[in-house]
Amino acid sequence: MRQKLLNALIGIVVALLLGAILLLLQGYDPLATYEALFRYSLFGYYPFATTLRNAVPLVLPGLSAAIAFASGVVNLGQPGQLVMGALFATVGGLYLNLPPALMIPALALLAMLGGVVWAGIAALLRRFFEMSEFIVTLMLNMIADFFTAWAITEPFKDPAAFSPMTPQISPNGWLPEWGEFNTMILFMFAAVVIAWFIFHRWKAGYEWRITGQNALFARLGGCEINRNFMAVMLLTGALAGLAGGLVVMGGPHRFIRGLGANYAWDGVMIAIVANNGLIATFLYGLFFSAIQTGALGMELITSVPNEISQVLQAVLVLVIVASREYLNTFVQQLAARRRAREVRT
Amino acid sequence: MTNPSPLIEMRRIIKVYPPNVVALDDVTVDFRRGEIHSIVGENGAGKSTLMKVLYGLTHANAGEIIYKGSAVHFREPGEAIAAGIGMVHQEIVLIPEYTVWENIVLGVEPVNWLGKIDRQRARRLVQQKIDEFQFNLDPDEKVENISVAARQKVEILTLLYRNVEVLILDEPTAVLTPQEIPQLFAELNRLRASGRTILFISHRLDEVLELSDRITVMRKGKKVDTVPASSTNRQELARMMVGRDVLFTTRRKPKPPGEAVLRVENLTVREDHGRVRLDNLNFEVRAGEIVGVAGVEGNGQFELVNTLMGIQKPTSGHIYIRDVDITHFDILQRRKFISFVPQDRGKMGASLSAPVWEDAIMTHHRLNPRLSGWKGLLLNTRYAQEFTRQLIDTFQVVLPSPRAPFRTLSGGNQQKVVVGRELLLQSDFVLLDQPTRGLDVGSMEYIHDQILRIRSEGRAVLMISADLEEIFLLSDRILVLYRGRLVGNLPVEQTNPQEVGSLMLEGQPQSA
Amino acid sequence: MKILIGLINGMIAGATPILLAALGGAYTYYAGVFNIAMEGMLLTGAFFAVLGSYYTGSWLVGVLLAVLGSLFLSLIFILFAVVLKTDEFVTGIALNLFAVGATTYLLRKIFSVKGVFSNPGIQPIPALRLPVVENIPVLGEILSGQNLMIWVAVLATILTHFLIFQTRFGLRLRAAGYNPARLDSSGVPSNRLRALSLLACGVLCGLGGAFLSLGYVNLFAENMSAGRGWISLAAIILVNGNPLGIALISLLFGFSDGLGLLLQGYRVPAQFTAMVPYLATLIALYFYAARTRRLKSA
Repeated sequence: MRQKLLNALIGIVVALLLGAILLLLQGYDPLATYEALFRYSLFGYYPFATTLRNAVPLVLPGLSAAIAFASGVVNLGQPGQLVMGALFATVGGLYLNLPPALMIPALALLAMLGGVVWAGIAALLRRFFEMSEFIVTLMLNMIADFFTAWAITEPFKDPAAFSPMTPQISPNGWLPEWGEFNTMILFMFAAVVIAWFIFHRWKAGYEWRITGQNALFARLGGCEINRNFMAVMLLTGALAGLAGGLVVMGGPHRFIRGLGANYAWDGVMIAIVANNGLIATFLYGLFFSAIQTGALGMELITSVPNEISQVLQAVLVLVIVASREYLNTFVQQLAARRRAREVRT
Repeated sequence: MTNPSPLIEMRRIIKVYPPNVVALDDVTVDFRRGEIHSIVGENGAGKSTLMKVLYGLTHANAGEIIYKGSAVHFREPGEAIAAGIGMVHQEIVLIPEYTVWENIVLGVEPVNWLGKIDRQRARRLVQQKIDEFQFNLDPDEKVENISVAARQKVEILTLLYRNVEVLILDEPTAVLTPQEIPQLFAELNRLRASGRTILFISHRLDEVLELSDRITVMRKGKKVDTVPASSTNRQELARMMVGRDVLFTTRRKPKPPGEAVLRVENLTVREDHGRVRLDNLNFEVRAGEIVGVAGVEGNGQFELVNTLMGIQKPTSGHIYIRDVDITHFDILQRRKFISFVPQDRGKMGASLSAPVWEDAIMTHHRLNPRLSGWKGLLLNTRYAQEFTRQLIDTFQVVLPSPRAPFRTLSGGNQQKVVVGRELLLQSDFVLLDQPTRGLDVGSMEYIHDQILRIRSEGRAVLMISADLEEIFLLSDRILVLYRGRLVGNLPVEQTNPQEVGSLMLEGQPQSA
Repeated sequence: MKILIGLINGMIAGATPILLAALGGAYTYYAGVFNIAMEGMLLTGAFFAVLGSYYTGSWLVGVLLAVLGSLFLSLIFILFAVVLKTDEFVTGIALNLFAVGATTYLLRKIFSVKGVFSNPGIQPIPALRLPVVENIPVLGEILSGQNLMIWVAVLATILTHFLIFQTRFGLRLRAAGYNPARLDSSGVPSNRLRALSLLACGVLCGLGGAFLSLGYVNLFAENMSAGRGWISLAAIILVNGNPLGIALISLLFGFSDGLGLLLQGYRVPAQFTAMVPYLATLIALYFYAARTRRLKSA
C-alpha cells in the first residue's frame, strides 16, 4: 500500500516536471500555469464541484475498463458503448413521459441497456464465432460513432437546430442540481461502491479476477469461463453506457455532436494508470478530471491552450506506469545488493 | 596429471537474487582443460546459477573469474561464446519454426553483399560440423519435427559451430530416455578427446560417476567439495548433496487394491487430418492403487490429461468414474470426482499474483457450501481465511501470511498449497501430472509421502511422470504410452526400468 | 467503365495508408512487439506532413517531417516498452492518446484553428504520370496518374517481403518474435531487433500519414487517421503478418472504402457508407476466426 502511494507520487511528480519542461520550452511560466490549473479545479467550492461532475464520464468508463482488463476481457469498446448509452437515454427522454422519480431511473437503465446491447454484440461474436473482442470492440466504436451521427442528423434531429442534434429531453429526465453539485455524482459514487462489492465480495467477482490472472487455472478449477466472460462484457458495457446517459441527463439534456468527446479513452487510460484497481481508478479519475477542468480556467489566465491537458495526461500515464514497474525491480535489486554485502562479511 | 594449472577458476563468487535469495554463497571452484567436470546438487543448490555466472547470463555480486590466466567478466553470453565458453540450457531454447541449420547459424549467418543469407554456404558449413562429430542430423529438417534428443544435439552443434572450447550442459539427461543417454555420453567423450572441456550439471549420481573425471558437490549455495570420480561413490555423494543419509528405497507397503474407480474405455483422440494422438486406450485405476504413466514427452500424456479433465473432447471412447460416465461432463461436474495436480503450477495450478488464500479456495469455492455467503452469490471471505489456515497447517506450508502473493512462496511450498488444495477435495480419483518436477529433495519426499497416504486411504491415483525413478518408487502398476498407444500395463514387481525404457522408446520390449 | 475505374482508383487510394501502416506493423509483429501505436503514428505523420509542406512549400520536406514525427513516437515506444519494460499495450494506448492530444494542441498552437486546417499553401504529394503507359486504355487510366506515395507503398511491400524472409536481418527479426531467448543466447540482443522493428514501423507509418494529409486529401483534421491504424492492425492479424497478404487485405479494405463512396451516389446516408470499411473488417475477422477454429479442431 505504501509502495503504491509512493509509486503514484513519484510518477505524478516526474510527469509534472516533464510537463513543466514542455511549458518552459514554449515560453510559458510552469509555476503560474500549474497554479492556475489547480486553482480552477480543486481549490474552491465551485471548481471542486465542477471537477467532481466532470469526473463522472471518466470514472465510469474507467471502472468499465478496469473490471474488463482485470478479468482478462479486452473490452476496448467503451467509446462506442458510451455514445450508444447516450443515444438510448436521449431517445427515451424524448418519447417517455414519467414523473422524475421514475423517469430518471428509467433513463439511467436505458443508458445501461444501450451499453449492454453494444457490448453484447461483441460478446456474442466472441462467444459464437470466437472473434477477438479486442478488434471487434474497436471497430464497433467507429460504427457507433457513425450510427449516432446518423441518428441525430436524420430520425431524431431537432428541426429547429442548424447543426445535427436532438431536441432537449423531457425536463423530468434532467438530473437535479444541489447547489453547484449535480446529482450525477451520486450515480458515480453508487457505481464505485457496487462495482467494488461485486468484484471483491461476490463469488463471480472472485472468478473474474482469477480468470484475468490465469484463465487456464480458473477453467481447470471449475470456473464457468464463458458465462463469466459474458457477464463481464455486459456489466462493463452497462457502466460505459451509463456514463453516456448521465452526460446527457446532467449536461446539455440532448445528444449533440461530439458528445462522447474523449471521455471513454481517457477512462481506459485511467484504468491503466490505476493498474485496474477500482478505488485507484476512482481517485485517478478525480485527478484527471481536475487537470481537464483546471485546464479551461488556466487557458483564460495564462493563454496556454487547454489541449495541453491531453498531452499532460498521456505523459502522466506513461511515467506512472513505467515508474511502477521499474521501481519494483529497482527496490528489489537494492535489497539484493545489501544482502550480498551481508553474505561477504 | 600432476596438478595441471586450471583452465577456469571461479573465486569467491557471491550471487543474491532480488530481493534476498542467496543463490551462491562464497563459492570457489576450478576446472581443468580437457576434463569432464560434473557439478551435482539438489534443485536450488546453485549449480545452474554458478554456470550462468560463468556464462555471463547473470552477474555475480562479488568474486572473480580467471580464464586462461587472466580475469574475465562476460557481460552477456555473446562475449562468453566469443571467448570460447558455451552453454546448453536445461530447457532447450530453439526456434521450432526454423530448420536445424537456421537455428545453428542464427547470429553468425553467412550473407552476400545485400544482406541476403547464403543458404548454400550455411548448409554446407553446418553439414561439415555434423559430419565431423558424427551427430546424425538432417540440417534441413524443421526443429519442431525432431526428437528431444536431436534438439539437444542441435544445441551442442550451435556451440561447436562457434568453435567453443568449454561446453556447459545443464541437466542434459533429464529429458532423455535411458536408451538415449549412452549415445550422448559417447558424443561427450568424443568431444573430450578432441581437447574440449565439459562442465556437466546433474543430480543423477550414477550418470555423474560414470561420465566424469572430477565432481563438485554443491548444497544450499555453498560448495561442499570437489572430488575425483574414481575415489568416491554414490552414497558418499548423496550424503554430501543432501547433508544426511538418503533412502533410495520405497516406503510403499504392498496392499491388494479395491474396486475400479477410474475406467477408461476405447479412448481415442484423432486430429482432423488423421493424426492419432490417443489410440484406443483401455485401462482402470483401482481404489488404493497408484498407477504410473511412463512415456517420452509428447506421446499422448498431454491429450490423456486434457480428455480426463474435460479440456479436450475425445474423438471416441468413454471415461467412467465409479461407473458414472463422465465423458460429456463439463469441467466443474468432473471436479466433483477428480482431484488434479497439474504439471506446471504457474500455468495451470495457481495464479501467481493472487494472494495464497485465493489460490487455496479454487474449486472448493464451488463445492464447499461453507465458502458461500448470501444466496450463493457472496464469497464467505472469513471462512476462506480459516480454510486456508487449515490447509497451511495440514500440509506444513511455510509462508509469511495467507495474504502473501503466491509467487513469493518457494517452489516446494507452492506445490504443497496446490497438492493440499486438491487432496482436500476428498475425491476418489486423483490425477497427478509430474507432481514433483523441479522440487528439492525435502519437498519431493513430503509429496511422495502424501501420495502414499492417499493410497492407504483407498483413493485411486493416476500419476504421470517423466522421472522413471519416481514411477518405480511409487507405482503399483506402470502404464507405458508410445505414440498414443498403451504399449505396457505392467505390475511394478514384474518389470524393470530397462524394459519400461525400451517400451517408451520403441513401443516394444527390447528386441534382439 | 468509368464507375469501375473510379472504384479501382478509390480502392488503391483507400488501401495505401492502411498498407503502409500495416507493413510497419508487420515488422513489429514479427519481432514479437505488441504494437498498437500505428493509429497514433499515422496521425502524427499526417500532422507533421502538413506542417512541413505548408511552411516550406515543399511536399518532400513535409514527408520527411512526417517520418521524423512518427519516428519520435517510435522512440518513446522504445524508451518505455523496450528499455523500461513498460507494458506494450499500455504504451501503445498512451501513445495513441498522446498523438491525439499533441496534434490537437499543436494545431491550435501553431495554426490557431480547431478541427481542421486546410490552406492552398499546403503542397500535395504529386501524382506520377507514366508517359507510354498512360495511353493504354483502362490500364493506363489506372496505372498512370497515381500518387507517388502509392508507388512507394508498392516498393515498400516488396522490400519488406525481401527483408523479412530472405535476409540476415529478417532471420533475426523473426527469431526475436519466435524465441527471444534463443536470439539472445546466439549473441544478438533481441532488444535491438525490437527497437529496429519499431523504427521501421515509425518510418512506414510516417509515410502513410503523409499520404493521408498530402495525398488522400490535402488538409489536416483532428483525429483524421480515423481508425485506419486499428484496421491495419486487424489486417496484420488476419494474414499473420505476411507482407503480400497485407497488400491483398489492404486492397480489400480500400475497396470497401471506394464502395462506400460509390454507395453515396445511390443516396445511402453518408454515415452508413462511412461504416463500410469497419464492417468489412468485422466480416474479414469472421472468416479469419472460422479458419482458426477449423485449424484448432484439426
